[in-house]
Amino acid sequence: MTPSGDAAHLSGAAAIAGLGFSAIGKVYGRGASGFAVDAARAAIADAGLGPEDVDGLIVSYGITPAYAQLPPALGMRDLRLNVNLNAAGATAAAAIQYAAMAVAGGLADCIVYVHADAPLHDPATRAGAAYGAAAARRSGGFTTVAGATGLPGANPHYALAARRHMLRYGTTAEQLGAVAVAQRAWAAGNPLARYRDPLTLEDHGAARLVADPFRLYDCCMVTNGAIAFVVTSAARAALLARPPVYIWGWGQGHPVYPMGRGSELGLRTGAAIAGPAAFKMAGITAGDVDQAQLYDCYTYTVIVTLEDYGFCEKGEGGPFAASGALARGGSLPTNTGGGQLSAYYLWGATPLSEAVIQARGDGGERQAPANDVILVSGNGGILDYHGTLIVSPHPRAA
Amino acid sequence: MSPPAASRDERSAPWFDAAADGVLLARRCRSGHWSAPMLFFGGAVLACATCGDVDLEWAPTAGRGSLVTWTEVPGPDGGTMAAAVVELDEGPWVFGSLAVPADERVEGLRLVVGFERPGGGEPVPVFARPGAP
Repeated sequence: MTPSGDAAHLSGAAAIAGLGFSAIGKVYGRGASGFAVDAARAAIADAGLGPEDVDGLIVSYGITPAYAQLPPALGMRDLRLNVNLNAAGATAAAAIQYAAMAVAGGLADCIVYVHADAPLHDPATRAGAAYGAAAARRSGGFTTVAGATGLPGANPHYALAARRHMLRYGTTAEQLGAVAVAQRAWAAGNPLARYRDPLTLEDHGAARLVADPFRLYDCCMVTNGAIAFVVTSAARAALLARPPVYIWGWGQGHPVYPMGRGSELGLRTGAAIAGPAAFKMAGITAGDVDQAQLYDCYTYTVIVTLEDYGFCEKGEGGPFAASGALARGGSLPTNTGGGQLSAYYLWGATPLSEAVIQARGDGGERQAPANDVILVSGNGGILDYHGTLIVSPHPRAA
Repeated sequence: MSPPAASRDERSAPWFDAAADGVLLARRCRSGHWSAPMLFFGGAVLACATCGDVDLEWAPTAGRGSLVTWTEVPGPDGGTMAAAVVELDEGPWVFGSLAVPADERVEGLRLVVGFERPGGGEPVPVFARPGAP
């Protein structure tokens, strides 16, 4: 399907003006709503604003509801936009898109987007169990066939997709490992990252099996916490406390794989749809992108996403990662905060938050050499949802 | 520790009944297009993906197909469980256990369905090479 609308006139119209974190990681005793309040307050303050300046709220959550009572707890009144959103791992990218369009369209002037989750209830809860328990609650009938045949939860389903990529293109477990190793090295420079110890390809290959071809370090962690963003017009953002992160381009792509003959599941993702739309809106090509913050629920997801954005040829994502391109000193610094594999797992808010940090030049020891054009991706379901943002510290040239 | 058992609900009852007789059912529309029940969504097939027909019936497949992709996860007692996506000759993709040794797994490998009852629960599909013991 050819994109019908031309979004170029909205390129650079809105900006991210605030970023806020709650406590994140293995933090307990606070529900998702509590984390959401903490993160939203931090983001509003980061922008140099107060709750009275906010007239729009977009909320999403992982597997735990978070939106109850948020606006009064935040001191908000007379909101002009208040919506809960779910496009799985693509939600954060989508939320920023809708916020930017709402600002441009006059629905609201200053919008907070917050994503929160609290799947971990106590130190004894293992990550897999936290999410597996959610799957088990959807019990009865065909869902139980998944567990009985070795396919419980997302891990084995992404593993099936990854194996297909390996069969078709020759991608190897070592190439998956290159993604994990590169991101761990980036994480060493991120004070917010959970895992900062060096990781080697040998460590990766020797780790416990999760779902072949995935071993432990191919899989994201599970995290409690929240991250919030403030979106407003480019003109207003320029007057606020922090350097604006301008939203140059966006796109979404949801492949709707047929569950049968001809399906491209595992081979081609929604990035192949969303990417070209975002590049066109931003007036750039893949070659203009300085760094990529990609949704990394698994190492494989990074590899297939790189291909679909055109950073390398289809099927060459594995060799591209193994070449060191994603790592410190590489041609396309990717997931520079460690991503969901090594830093924190708050769905699409993870890559988006790192993009804001890098665009502001706040990356400290891990700041990538160039930040003029940053690509952010979100991916969710079993590769069912995809969202793309192109952001920059520079206003879009008229 | 035994594998988690499968259990029936109203929607899956006819499918498990046929499985108990060694027959793999799938959804078929009035024009003869096939759809597979989706594990992640409780088996709901809202409409035929080919033509949009909402009048779907359970129909027996031949229970034969080709290996698309596979995985292996930690199983009970320190072992592993292999599972696969199989493209039925009728077209739909179905999930099931895979009773094929690792060194014999290749894309397109011909498979036939059987059924086992992990944990003493309802029968679930197990795919093996035709004629395999």
